[in-house]
Amino acid sequence: MILPYTIVNPLTTVRIPRRLPRQGEVIVGIGESVEPAQTVAQTTLSGEFRIIDVARELGVSPKKAKSFIKVKIGQRVLARAVLAERGGISRQRCRAPIDGRITGYGRGRLLLEAPEIPLQLSALVPGVIVDTWSNRGVLIETTGAFIQGIWGNGKESYGVLKMAVRNARRALRAKQIDASAQGTILVGGAQLDEEAIEQAIEMRVQGIIVGGIPPELLPKIEAVDFAVVVTEGVGVIPMSKAVFRLLRSMDGREVAISGLQEQRSGGERPFIIVPMPTESGNPIQPESPIVIGSRVRGMRWPYMGISGTVLELPSGRSLLETGARLPGATVKFDDKSVAFVPFFDLERLL
Amino acid sequence: MVNDPGIESILVADCGKVITKVLLLERVEDSYRFVAQSEALTTMHFPWNDVGVGVIQAIEDIELITGRILYQNGRLLTPRDGQEGVDAFVVILSAPEPLHIVLAGLVPEMSLESARRAAAGTYTKIDAVFYREGSLQFPQQTWARTIRDVAPDVVLLVGGIDGGAMNPVLELADAIALGASMLEESQRPVLLYAGNALLRERIAKMLGKIVQVEVVDNVRPTSDKEHLGPAQETLERLYIERRLKSTPGVDTLSSWSRLPLQPAASSLGRVVEYLWHRERNPQRGSLGIDVGAASTSVAAVFDSRLFLSVQSQGIAFGPASWVEANGMESITRWLPEEFEEQEIKSLLLNRQLRPWTVPQELRELWVEQAVVREMLRDALRTALPTWSAGEAELHPGMMPYLDPILICGGGIVHMPRPGQALLTVLDGLQPVGISTVFLDFSRAASALGAVASIKPLAAASAMEAGTLIPLGTIISPVGRAKEGDVILKMRIVYEDGSSLDVEAHYGELEIWPLLPGQQATLEIKPHRRFDIGLGGAGKGGKVHAIGGRVGLVVDARGRPLELPEDPDECRARLNRWIWDVGG
Repeated sequence: MILPYTIVNPLTTVRIPRRLPRQGEVIVGIGESVEPAQTVAQTTLSGEFRIIDVARELGVSPKKAKSFIKVKIGQRVLARAVLAERGGISRQRCRAPIDGRITGYGRGRLLLEAPEIPLQLSALVPGVIVDTWSNRGVLIETTGAFIQGIWGNGKESYGVLKMAVRNARRALRAKQIDASAQGTILVGGAQLDEEAIEQAIEMRVQGIIVGGIPPELLPKIEAVDFAVVVTEGVGVIPMSKAVFRLLRSMDGREVAISGLQEQRSGGERPFIIVPMPTESGNPIQPESPIVIGSRVRGMRWPYMGISGTVLELPSGRSLLETGARLPGATVKFDDKSVAFVPFFDLERLL
Repeated sequence: MVNDPGIESILVADCGKVITKVLLLERVEDSYRFVAQSEALTTMHFPWNDVGVGVIQAIEDIELITGRILYQNGRLLTPRDGQEGVDAFVVILSAPEPLHIVLAGLVPEMSLESARRAAAGTYTKIDAVFYREGSLQFPQQTWARTIRDVAPDVVLLVGGIDGGAMNPVLELADAIALGASMLEESQRPVLLYAGNALLRERIAKMLGKIVQVEVVDNVRPTSDKEHLGPAQETLERLYIERRLKSTPGVDTLSSWSRLPLQPAASSLGRVVEYLWHRERNPQRGSLGIDVGAASTSVAAVFDSRLFLSVQSQGIAFGPASWVEANGMESITRWLPEEFEEQEIKSLLLNRQLRPWTVPQELRELWVEQAVVREMLRDALRTALPTWSAGEAELHPGMMPYLDPILICGGGIVHMPRPGQALLTVLDGLQPVGISTVFLDFSRAASALGAVASIKPLAAASAMEAGTLIPLGTIISPVGRAKEGDVILKMRIVYEDGSSLDVEAHYGELEIWPLLPGQQATLEIKPHRRFDIGLGGAGKGGKVHAIGGRVGLVVDARGRPLELPEDPDECRARLNRWIWDVGG
C-alpha cells in the first residue's frame, strides 16, 4: 500500500510550482535563476463592476434604451461621464458611477467594469526555472530544508526564522512576540491564542509556523495578512519533534513559507523551505515502502503529531481500543513510548 | 451493453476520493466470484497527479496475491492469455470534485427545490442559489458578481411553470450572462435551462453567444408536477464529460477498458435495481446507501424504477461545514459520552485534513458514527421527496417499506463491529416494516454494478455467491406505546424445528440469535396499535427470515425515533443501545 508521507528533510531538492490565479504572462524563461522577491509572472485581476440600468434611469423600454446610449463596448469612461442621454423637455442623463470600461450591453443595461488590478507573482524561493506553463506559471527547482505542513491560511511570506518557544509542547503567547519579531517568521509550539494573533499583527510579523490551531480561531487566522502554516492539525497538538528540531536548527536563517491549500483543482500542501541554493540535496523517494527503521508520524489521537521509528511490522491484523482489527506497525515514538498504530493512521517522514 | 460470453475474468478499478480499490472477478466452475481485491491510496492529486498510479499499485498487489501477471510494460494485459491478463477492465470513479453549480429560479419552495433535487441526481455541490429576496436591493449586480467570483461549472436556471412567469426568469438570465461575460472563456459555466418552456428559444439566443446553453424539459412544468429526469441526465453527462474524463491519468485507464467511465453512484444504482428485480414485489422497495469520504449516495428502487441521489458530503469532507450550518446539537445528541464542542470541531477538521485515517479511540469512533447518522438523515431529506414509492408507502412522512437494504461505503463498512454499523443505519434511516440488511463488507457493490454493465450474469452470480454479507433481519414496528409495554410477540421457528417464543418491549432494541447461514420462520403478532407492514396495525403473520452477523432484531424504539431531551438520560439510552448491539 502507498502510505501517505510528509517531507521533513534537512537538505533536499524540490520543485515548487508558482501559478497565476488566471491567465497572464510568464516573464522568465527555462534555465533562468530567480530570487525570492523576483516577479516570475503577472496578470490582472477583475476589479469592481456596476450594472447600469439605462432603461430604468431614462424611463424608457429596454428596446428603446439602446438608441440613447452614447458609449461603445470597450470604451473607457471616467466617473460622472454621460453614458446615455434622453433629450427633449425633461432631459435625462445616465452617468458612470465609477471609472472603468464598458464591457457589455443587454436588455437596456450596461456593464461597466472598473480598471483591473495588476498582480505580480513572485518566485518566493531562490532557484532555477525548470518549466513554464504558457500564461499560467512556472516551476522552480530549489534546494534546502523542506517541511510540508498540513493546513495553511492561503498566504505566503518570506522572512527570517525566529524560534518563539523553547519546546514543541509550549503554546505561542502574546508575551513572546515583542518588537524583535517584526518582519520575522515565528515558530510556535502546540498552538496559539487570540492575543498572540493580535500581537503578531501589531508587531508586523511576516508569518507563523505552529503545531496546532484552535478551531474557533480559523476565520481570524484566515483573515490575517501574513502566512500561517500549521504542521500537525486542528486543536492543541505539540509540534512533532522531527519538525521542531529541524526548525530550531535553522533559527535565524531566511525562510519562505506558503500557506496555500489544496484548491479545487487539487494541489499542493502548505510548506516551509529554508533555501540553501549552493548545496545539493538528497532526492525524496515517495514510492519507497515502509520498513523497519522507517521514520513515521501518528495522524490520529492518542499519537497525533508524535514522530517515531518503525520497530516491527507485525503480520496480520492487530486489535485497537475501538474493537477494529487492522494491519499496522509497532512504532517507537520519540517520547520513548512504544505502540501499535494502524497503517491508516501513519505517515512516513521523508 | 456488452455481454461477451467469452469474458471469464474482469478487473474492476473503483477510484474513490481517498481509497482506490481493485477487484478481480473470475469464473470459478459455474459461478463468478471475487477472487482477490486490493486497496491503495487514490493518487489523483499532488504529488502524483495521476489516478493510474494508485490503480497500478493495487493491481501489482493483486498480482502478488494471485501469482498472475496482469500488468506489463506499462499496460494492462487484455484479453487474458492463460495465467496472464484479464478479459475485461472497468473503471468507476467518485474521486473527482463534484460539479460546482449555481441554482437560479423564482420560488425557493417550488422550482428551486426541484432544481436542488435535480442537482442531487449526480455529484454536484451547490455554491449559490439565486432568487429575488425582498431585501436584496440590486439582485442583478449581486447575481452577476457571484457568477464572476464563483465561476461555477454549471448554472441551472429554472422557474416559471410552462406558460407561466417570464420576466423574472429573463432577469436572472440577464444577470447570469453579464456575470459569465466577465469570466475567461475557459472558465465560463454551462447554462442548463430547465424552466418555462416558452422561454427556451429566447434564453438560448440571449446566452448562446456567451456560454454553452443546454435546454431540457421544465423541472416543474406545473405547480404540482415535478419532472427531474432530463435535467438529471444532462447533469450526469456533464459530470462525466467535465470531471471523469478530465481526471489526471484517466486516459490511460480508459484505453484499457471497453466501457465508458462510470460514476460510482450509477453503479450502485444498478446493484439496487438487481436486488429489487430478484423479488419484483411492488409492495417493497430496495435501498442502497453508500457513505463515502466525500459523498453519500442513496439509490432506491420502487416498482422497477430507480431513484438516485448523491449528496456531496461524506464522513470526511463536509461534516465540519455541515455542523457550522446545522448546529453542533445534531451531532452531540448521538454521543454516548460528554464532549466539548471544540473537541468535536477539531476532530471533524482533522478528519478532513487526513481523510484516510481511522479512529483509534472510542471517543473518536462515537463522533464518526454520529456524523454518519446525520449524513444519512441529510441525504434522505433530499432523496425522499423524489421517490414514488407507490404500494411500498406505509405511513406518510416515514420511510417506505424497504427490503432489502444494502449498506456500502467506508464510512460504515469500516466500523469495527457489525452491530455498530447496524445501529448507525437504524438510527440514520429509521426503516419501517421487515427488512433484510446487507453489508458490502468487501466493498464490492459498486464494482458489481460496473460488472453488470459488461456481463450481467457474472454480477448476479457473484452477488448470489455471498459477496454481500447479511447483518440480519430487522423488524421495525410503527406505533406509540409506554416504555416497557409489550408491542410484539413472536415465535422463532428454526430450521431444526426448535422454537423460541419472545416479546419485544417498547423503547428497546431486542436481538435474538439467528446466525449467518441460518434461516427461520417467524410467527409475528404485533400489538393492535403497531404496524409491521403486513397489512395494517395489529396485523401479523408468518415471515421467512435469514440470519446474519447481528441476528434477528426488533427495533421497538418507535417511529419516528425520539431521543430523550435530558442529555444524561439520552447518553444512558445510547449506551444501552450500543450494548444491545454488541458494543
